[in-house]
Amino acid sequence: MGDTLARFAVDAPLVLWLLPLALLPFRASAQRVVPVAAIDAGPADPLSRALGWALRIAGCLALAGLIVGIAGPYRRGETVTRTGIGAQVSILVDRSGSMNETFAGRQPSGAEESKAAASRRLLGDFVGSRAHDQFAVTAFSTAPMLVVPMTDRHEAVRAAIRAIDRPGLDYTNVARGLAMGLSQFGPQAANVSRALLIVSDGAAVIDPRVQGTLRAEFARIRPNLYWLFLRTKGSPAIADKPAGEDTPQAAPERHLDLFFKSLGTPYRAFEAEGPEAVAAAIRQIEALERDPIPYTERRPRRDLSWVAFGLALLGLLLLVAGKLAEADVRRGRGGLPQAAEAPSERIAA
Amino acid sequence: MKAHLVRNLRDGRFQALAGAMVLAALALVLPAVPLTRTGVSVLAVVDITGSMNVRDYASADGRPASRLDTARGALRELIAALPCGSRMALGLFTERRPFLLFTPIEVCADFAPLDGALAALDWRMAWEGDSRISAGLFRAVEMAASLDTDLIFLTDGQEAPPLPSAGGPAFEGKPGAVRGLIVGAGAYALSPIPRYNDRGREIGFYGAGDVQQENRFGPPPADAESREGYNPRNAPFGGAAATGAEHLSSVREPYLKTLAGETGLAYVHLDGPGGLSVPLLAAATPRPLPGRLDLRPFLGGAALALVLAVFLLPTLRALSLPRALTLKKA
Repeated sequence: MGDTLARFAVDAPLVLWLLPLALLPFRASAQRVVPVAAIDAGPADPLSRALGWALRIAGCLALAGLIVGIAGPYRRGETVTRTGIGAQVSILVDRSGSMNETFAGRQPSGAEESKAAASRRLLGDFVGSRAHDQFAVTAFSTAPMLVVPMTDRHEAVRAAIRAIDRPGLDYTNVARGLAMGLSQFGPQAANVSRALLIVSDGAAVIDPRVQGTLRAEFARIRPNLYWLFLRTKGSPAIADKPAGEDTPQAAPERHLDLFFKSLGTPYRAFEAEGPEAVAAAIRQIEALERDPIPYTERRPRRDLSWVAFGLALLGLLLLVAGKLAEADVRRGRGGLPQAAEAPSERIAA
Repeated sequence: MKAHLVRNLRDGRFQALAGAMVLAALALVLPAVPLTRTGVSVLAVVDITGSMNVRDYASADGRPASRLDTARGALRELIAALPCGSRMALGLFTERRPFLLFTPIEVCADFAPLDGALAALDWRMAWEGDSRISAGLFRAVEMAASLDTDLIFLTDGQEAPPLPSAGGPAFEGKPGAVRGLIVGAGAYALSPIPRYNDRGREIGFYGAGDVQQENRFGPPPADAESREGYNPRNAPFGGAAATGAEHLSSVREPYLKTLAGETGLAYVHLDGPGGLSVPLLAAATPRPLPGRLDLRPFLGGAALALVLAVFLLPTLRALSLPRALTLKKA
C-alpha cells in the first residue's frame, strides 16, 4: 500500500493545503435560497434529499479536482533493469602531442587526417552503435585524466570523444593511464563483459615497481584488453626487434606488448597504419564483445493531471445542470405571466 | 419554463460555474504552448595548479576545504541549477593552457556522467606545475570561441612563476567577444600552500625558499638601481635574494579584475560551494531553448477562483449584511 502511494507525487505540494476548501459545498450552496416559513410543512422527499447530496458531492468533487489538478499530480518514473547485448568498455586515449600528426608523421595539411582526428571519427561511430554498451573515457599524457566515468549516456561519451583531436600534451605515461582506465570498471557484477581499449601511437616503459600493481589489478578485473596501436609510417612495429640491445628503453612498443601478453587476460593488439585499418580493428572489437549485459531502462513519469481535471469537469457539469434546473417556485407561479405561455418547453438538464 | 431558464441563465453564479466548466474542459484538451526559454552553453575551465589545494574554505561540517573542492562543489551545484537544455563543456587549466576534457554536454539528460566527471576533478591530473594564469585564460577564451560557448574560468589568480616586472602577455582577442565569468577562488588572507611528494602524499607546506619569489627573466624592474648590491652587469636585480610571500596564497582579486576588464568577462568571488548560477546567467549569452508552457495550472486556477467565488460570496455577503445594518443604525 505504502509502496503504491509512494509512486504518486505532485509538482506543487503546497497547493494541496487548499484541499480543505473542497468541504465548502457541505456548508454553502450554489443554489438560490428560497425563504420557506417552515420546512416541516412539506412532506419528506427522498428525491430532493438525494439531489441535494448529489449537488454537494459534485461541488466537493469540482473543488478537489481543480486543486489537485493545479498541483500537477503524476506517477513517478521508474528504472527497470533488463539484460541486453553489450559490454563495459573503458577507452584509454593517448593525448600526447604526437597524436596530432598524420600517420605519416607530418602535420596534417589539406585533406590529410591526423591520428587523433581519425580516432575521433571512428570511435565516435563505435560509441552508440549498440544501445546497451557502457563506456568510460580516460585520457592520459604525463598524468591520467578521468574524462567521463562509466556511463550508458552515449551522447556524453561522444562529447568526450569529440575533444580528443584538440592539441595534446607532452608525454606518454602508459602506466598511470592503465591504472586509471582499470579503475573505471568499478565494483560491479563479475559476469559483465569488460573491455579495456587503449588507443595510442606510442608506448613507454612501465616502471617495474608499478608492473606488479598493474598485474594484480588486471588479474582482479580480468578485462579483455585491446591495444589499438596507431603506427606512424617508418616507426618500429610492435613485433620489431631492435637492432641493438633488446631493452624496454630501446623498443618500448615491443616490451609493452610483451607485458600485455604476460598478463594472462585475453589480449589483442591491432596495428593500424591508416584510418581504414583503424575502422577494421574497431569492427573486430565490436564483433568480439557480444555478451549479455544488465542495463537500466528509465520509464518516464506519467502525467495524471487529466484525471483530476476530468473529475472536476464531471462535478462542474452536475453543478451547472443543477443551476439550469433551478425553478423559483413562488416567482414562477405569480410574478412572471409569460411562464404559462410555453409550458411544453422542458429544461434539457 | 422558459422564464426559469432565462432567469437561470442570467444568474451570476450560473455564469461563473459555466465559465469554470469551460475552463476545466479547456484544461483537458489544450496542448502545452511551445515557447523559448533562456539557457546557457558554457565552457568551465578549472585551475588545478598547486595553489588551488590551499584549504581556506570551510565545508558544510566546518572542516577546512580546499579551493579545488569548493570550486568543484560550486560547479556541481551549478549544473543542477541551470535550466534543462543548457550545456557545459569542461576543461582543466595548469601550466599555460587549458585542456579540453569534453565538448558541451546537456546538463539534464546527461547529468550523471557530467556530475561524475566534475566529481573526479583532481589536482593529480595536472601535467605540469607552472601556473601562468593570463596565458591560460587567453587560450581558454579562444577555446570557448571555437566551441561557441561562454566561459567560466575558476582560478585563484596566483601566477607561478610570478609575472616579470614588465607584466604578463597582452590579450590579443576582441574583448567581450566571448562572454562569461572569471571566478576568484580563495580567501583574502594569506594561507600556506600544501606540498605533495611524487606519490601524491601530502608532506607539509611550501616554505619561502621553495618557490620563485621574483621573476628574474627579462629586463630588471625600474627600482633595481636602488637595490642593495646592484650592479648593471653582475647583479641587475640587486645583490640580495628575492623575498616575498609567493609561498603563501590568497585570492588575487585586483589582478583577476584587471584580466576580466581586459577580456571583457565579468568577475565574481567564489564565496562557497554554490551561488554561481545567478552571476553566470547574468553574464552569459542567453541561448534560446525550446520549452513548453503548461497552461493547465492557469486554467485550473481561474476555474478554481470562479467556483470558490460561487460558494464563498453568498456566505461573505451574509456575514457582512448585519454589519451594514448596524452601521445604518448608528
